[in-house]
Amino acid sequence: MNNSTEKSAVKQGIFGGRDFTKTMDIIRRLALLLVLFALMIFFSTQNENFLTLRNAMTVLRSVSITGVIALGMTLVIIAGEIDLSVGSMVALSGVLTAWLVRHFMQAIGMGDAISVILAITITLGVGILVGLFTATLRNYLRIPSFITTLGLLTALSGVAYLISGGFPIITFPSWYRYIGAGWLFEGERGATFPGIPFQVIILFVVFILLFILLHYTRIGRSIYAVGANEESARLSGVSVKLVRCVAFGITGFLAALSGIMVSSQIMTGAPAVGAGGEMNAISAVIIGGASLSGGVGKITGTLIGILFLGVLGNGMTMMGMDTHWQAVIRGALVIAAVLFNMLIQKRS
Amino acid sequence: MKKCLRIQSLTKDYPGVRALDDFSAEFPAGKVHAFLGKNGSGKSTLVKSISGAILPTSGALFLDDENLDLKTPSDAFAKGIATVYQELSLIPGLSVAENIFFGRMPKNKLGLINFKKANIEAKRLLDELGINISPKTPVMELSMWQRQLVEIAKAMSFQPHVLLLDEPTSSLAQSEAEKLFEVVRILRDKGVILLYISHKLQEIFDVADSVTVIRDGLLVGIKDVVDLTKEELIHMMFGDIKVETIPDDLQFTNEPVLEVKNFTSKNHFEDINFTLHKSEVLGIAGLLGTGRSELLRAIFGADSYDEGEVTVNGKKLKKASPKRGKEAGMAFTSENRKEEGLILIHSIRENLVLASLRALRNGIFMSKKKERGYVDRQVENLQIKISSPEALVSSLSGGNQQKVLVGNWINTEPQILILDEPSRGIDVNAKQQIFDIVWEQSRQGVSSIIVSSELEELLQTCHRILIMQEGRIVNEVFPKDIEVEQLYAMCVKERD
Repeated sequence: MNNSTEKSAVKQGIFGGRDFTKTMDIIRRLALLLVLFALMIFFSTQNENFLTLRNAMTVLRSVSITGVIALGMTLVIIAGEIDLSVGSMVALSGVLTAWLVRHFMQAIGMGDAISVILAITITLGVGILVGLFTATLRNYLRIPSFITTLGLLTALSGVAYLISGGFPIITFPSWYRYIGAGWLFEGERGATFPGIPFQVIILFVVFILLFILLHYTRIGRSIYAVGANEESARLSGVSVKLVRCVAFGITGFLAALSGIMVSSQIMTGAPAVGAGGEMNAISAVIIGGASLSGGVGKITGTLIGILFLGVLGNGMTMMGMDTHWQAVIRGALVIAAVLFNMLIQKRS
Repeated sequence: MKKCLRIQSLTKDYPGVRALDDFSAEFPAGKVHAFLGKNGSGKSTLVKSISGAILPTSGALFLDDENLDLKTPSDAFAKGIATVYQELSLIPGLSVAENIFFGRMPKNKLGLINFKKANIEAKRLLDELGINISPKTPVMELSMWQRQLVEIAKAMSFQPHVLLLDEPTSSLAQSEAEKLFEVVRILRDKGVILLYISHKLQEIFDVADSVTVIRDGLLVGIKDVVDLTKEELIHMMFGDIKVETIPDDLQFTNEPVLEVKNFTSKNHFEDINFTLHKSEVLGIAGLLGTGRSELLRAIFGADSYDEGEVTVNGKKLKKASPKRGKEAGMAFTSENRKEEGLILIHSIRENLVLASLRALRNGIFMSKKKERGYVDRQVENLQIKISSPEALVSSLSGGNQQKVLVGNWINTEPQILILDEPSRGIDVNAKQQIFDIVWEQSRQGVSSIIVSSELEELLQTCHRILIMQEGRIVNEVFPKDIEVEQLYAMCVKERD
């Protein structure tokens, strides 16, 4: 009897008390949200059209492509790695899809629906394979992912130009546009509710899936462990190699997916798109609170980081700010975000 | 040259413990003074006070009549006390001469480095010490013992009165150590006050003239080596102590759980054979560098091995991998708790379930409820003192960190616990608690293998102790039949 009350007291002491580290973590994430809201209020005072549903959808549309890449990048960065090849993967993926569709429809004479589905499947598979390639070199030859993906950054872009011959490939059936530029529940022109862009739905579906993966599966938990301390994870029997394969595989897949979304928006497979996309994605992940040394980061943080960059870009454009100034401010923001995270970590 | 290093009433207090108590001694030039003491005796505290690395609570150091009043290592250096540490400080990409004169290379009239002069001066210095290494050789081309000699030459280029050598042979083979001893003797004859720290008992007889024994922070005695036997020296180290052995209710069976046969890993251990029984607590004793840790790691699968086999419950393990070791029912905690055990930047909760993530699944998803149960169980059973399971594991004391590490593995419900130096860097109470955990596991049928540098601990904790020397198991003893001094003597290799 006495023993059991004592035990429950211990329990309360352990789980009942407010925890400092977690509180700091919440403050940090809320702080980013608060700054985001402050930014929105500021922009809404500058332009009455800013705080409308229509503009909200514009912001979301503008970030969905980078967003899908950044969500994948979050896995790689938490695992203590980096993937610089995603921007070129976007270009390659668009060109490859377009080339395959043209090949299936014109050379083999397949129907347009089956051609597109097949092309997309193959392209997403190539994305996964490129990710696995990086993971394999890292796992078995210990080549840092920075080096491998730096090489791929150049090489994949080269392949995209080789496939396309340097010219955009324009072959898609007209309905292909829906993937990257379609609307769900599309409202009347000028209506308060404009509908939901399909690419935004893709962004949120990817977000939810990765959220579940990171927090509610064994592989997700292992990604954090490997990124934080590879040797401790290995000695605890975690499959370090598998973790890297999953992280890079998913990132490659998502880069390919966002390439398909771009090709749908512009209805062409163009080898020049996506350049620099890796840096925007990394920026969003860093602003979201992930650490480049691995083991730390949240998928919700990255989502907020993406929205942050989107709102900032949109607001600054509406204010009529010079695009070059916008770049300077975005860059300064990345540095400020890291500084902020470091200060918070020092406190806790 | 100064003639004598005098230590007067040196005392160092740490919170709750007096590491060094009113220590006074004189170390004259022309002799090699060895320091001996088991772990935690206060030996390192004394040595660090001399090298200026720690500030004593009271007392003073004198070189002849000069009060040294050391505040920092650079103070000690300026007053003529040079230290050669275990971890070498040489820069591999630079030449021997560049390393010796690092930061103070001779310059010519234009202010550029005069390599010719540097090489000539380095050559003269090396010759004086009888070291036959070209000053132009890049350090990365030198072997360990050569680097150690260059390190000594570098220290001597400052013309110190006192040279402190901290475990200089820890990574050297016997023949290589001999070459180092020659240099040490040359230095002694030059009138340098040589202070020599080593855990290898034999070396004291090989190189030292006098030995200073410290126990529990007190000076036990300073003796001339020629008058001493090994047994006397060991007795001085340990004193008259009675060690209690494992409680009687802890019995083990004859049922083998783990069998290691002809187990060999080149340069680490050779032809290891032993059997671990159900509920048995088995200790492995041996000096540092005898391959104890490497053996444990290879059994678990953390490192690969060359020959032999490991059988758990009659099943031979195919390939070394921590994952396979875990699945076979083994658990392993590394001696480097912070680097290879815990994930310091993660929470206590995450660290307690790292090895048992598979068991926390409910379908394909993690069950937070199961996880809480697992965390809760270890926190209660192992009495881990925490404010919250979400606190970072790095915020815990060493003892509680060790409990988290052990708890992580007990959550996998292992049959064999392999613990490498589980008591390193934790206080006395926590040590006993860790061993209580091992005993409690034994009562439940779990077997353990423990490696520890503290021989008394092994005698207190284990049913049986294997003794390793230079990569081989040379003896097997039962704690009830043996004194700690005898055990220590058995760990020290007899040489002709």
